[in-house]
Amino acid sequence: MGLGQKSKMHNAITRREMLAGAAALVGAASLTSCARQQTPLVPSRVSIVRAPAYDQTLYDTVRRILDLHGIDVHGRNVVLKPNLVEFDTQTSINTNPLLVHAALEAFQARGAASVRIAEGPGHRRNTLDLADAAGYFKIVPKFEDLFVDLNLDDVTRVRPAKQFSKMEKFYLPNTALGADLLVSMPKMKTHHWVGATLSMKNLFGVVPGGIFGWPKNVLHWAGIEESIADLHAAFPRQFAIVDGIVGMQGNGPIQGVPKFAGVLVAGRDPVAVDATCCRIMRINPFRIGYLKLATGGVAAQISEANIRQSAETIAAVATPFDLIPEFQAFRLENS
Amino acid sequence: MTIDLLASKQNPDGGWPYLRGASWTEPTVYSLLALLATGETAGAARGLRWLLGMQRSDGSFPPRAGIDESSWTTALVALLPPERLGLAAHRRAVRWLLQSTGLESTRIYRMREWLLGNARPADQEFAGWPWITGTAAWVSPTSLSILALEKEARRNPSAEISNRITEGRNFLLSRMCEEGGWNHGSVNALGYQSSPYPETTGMALAALRGVDDPKVRRAIDKALSFLGDCRSADALNWLHLGLLAHGRMPASFAPPAGLAYRTVPESSLQLLVAEAKNGRDVLWG
Repeated sequence: MGLGQKSKMHNAITRREMLAGAAALVGAASLTSCARQQTPLVPSRVSIVRAPAYDQTLYDTVRRILDLHGIDVHGRNVVLKPNLVEFDTQTSINTNPLLVHAALEAFQARGAASVRIAEGPGHRRNTLDLADAAGYFKIVPKFEDLFVDLNLDDVTRVRPAKQFSKMEKFYLPNTALGADLLVSMPKMKTHHWVGATLSMKNLFGVVPGGIFGWPKNVLHWAGIEESIADLHAAFPRQFAIVDGIVGMQGNGPIQGVPKFAGVLVAGRDPVAVDATCCRIMRINPFRIGYLKLATGGVAAQISEANIRQSAETIAAVATPFDLIPEFQAFRLENS
Repeated sequence: MTIDLLASKQNPDGGWPYLRGASWTEPTVYSLLALLATGETAGAARGLRWLLGMQRSDGSFPPRAGIDESSWTTALVALLPPERLGLAAHRRAVRWLLQSTGLESTRIYRMREWLLGNARPADQEFAGWPWITGTAAWVSPTSLSILALEKEARRNPSAEISNRITEGRNFLLSRMCEEGGWNHGSVNALGYQSSPYPETTGMALAALRGVDDPKVRRAIDKALSFLGDCRSADALNWLHLGLLAHGRMPASFAPPAGLAYRTVPESSLQLLVAEAKNGRDVLWG
């Protein structure tokens, strides 16, 4: 079944499902109302740093980002999770290896006990060949020793804390679960099913293909946006560094075209980081379903006023990413 | 990798890992096929015992120990010689394969779609096989299931097996990319054509052995075009097997220098390809 057909199926709601959904919404609205009254909003910090090219200056740029956020990983285990998707080296599908290497060195320099690179591609099974084609073997010394294929890692069965999706259980890789800090390092891309793929959607790569298969379509059947929210909740110790130097616009995450944005966007709160990236891409973050789910209905959490930006402003770096027709309503100016 | 090196990768429990660490069903089956094809049976008995211990009550096999899922690896296990695996275990695996389909082909799903007034998409006309029970069918598990049932049909021909093979092959033909070849089985998304992959193209061609169809000829051309710039051992293994199945593997082809065979399945399949090149029916006999 094509993913498009699945999406169509997912949108077809029976009367019973609609009634159940309405009841749930009433309940959720009450809970949300309570949450608004009782929980003070603590603004998350997100830094936007200019990075004009994939060159040696990245090493200093990433160190500055970690300084900005006061990252303390002394004696800790850090796992860097880039986005590796396809072999095509002519486009901007994969996270650039130079950025990942810069992050590796920066975390090592801050005294991390171990820094590993881990990914479980969702489309291609031959992960190491894919990493090789994407330049990781060339750029990262001893890459094979540092790398864990999350598709084939040892796993632990995890029940989603809130269960937004239909997934009653996940098998998740121990390398990711055991990390003191999981660093999501996605490419800044548009996405033809959810609007934008950033640090939260990047966690699809932790779901082991060795168990669920390729593509990780089980997550599409369970609800793409809901699965993203489930995975976000399963990893509370995260940091995000989004590769927005050259992202992808149009029919992302695979068939789009490169889009220069010249930035790295980083922070401890992936929800705030992704909302900021959306604004840079001129996409309305309030229209992104998984962001809405992850905020638990407290939309103010991703309002621009409640995210503490550092370094560059959004306005200074914003550049509209082309969207496919189905997502034109997600444009900031159209919302 | 030599057969001795492959044997040295065997875990103490009898199974094989993908790279290192815990045993998984897929690398164990490919290792066993390679060991048995080359007549090296010393470690095979331990590997077969490990596999037998993995079989689930429904006859299927999980991807690895501790995973509560019936999976596509059942097709791989069914490729092993029944007399080596055990006739009862083999029969139960084949029975499970015959009953397994993608979720979109189940009666309940089709009834639900019918009640909702949704027309059945063209690519859901034929039943393929899923990676795990309760999910959609895709090209790789369908191809491997066809290979297993084709092998079974030679031993125990039946209309039921023949029908599932035909249905599975129709599934593959209906999921071919416009330019020839296959990706995972999604022909297009939102109107954009999907691009084929070399590994799935080789795998599907292996499952379409003996099928004379213009689409197959187009897929063979695609597979031949992949040979030139493919630098993945896994993909080249399957391109070999797929093209050999149709007698179209160029005899002069040499893999690119420095091609890395990194995982146990890649090394095992490389050994099986070498056997196939020598005329042995490693997957079909």
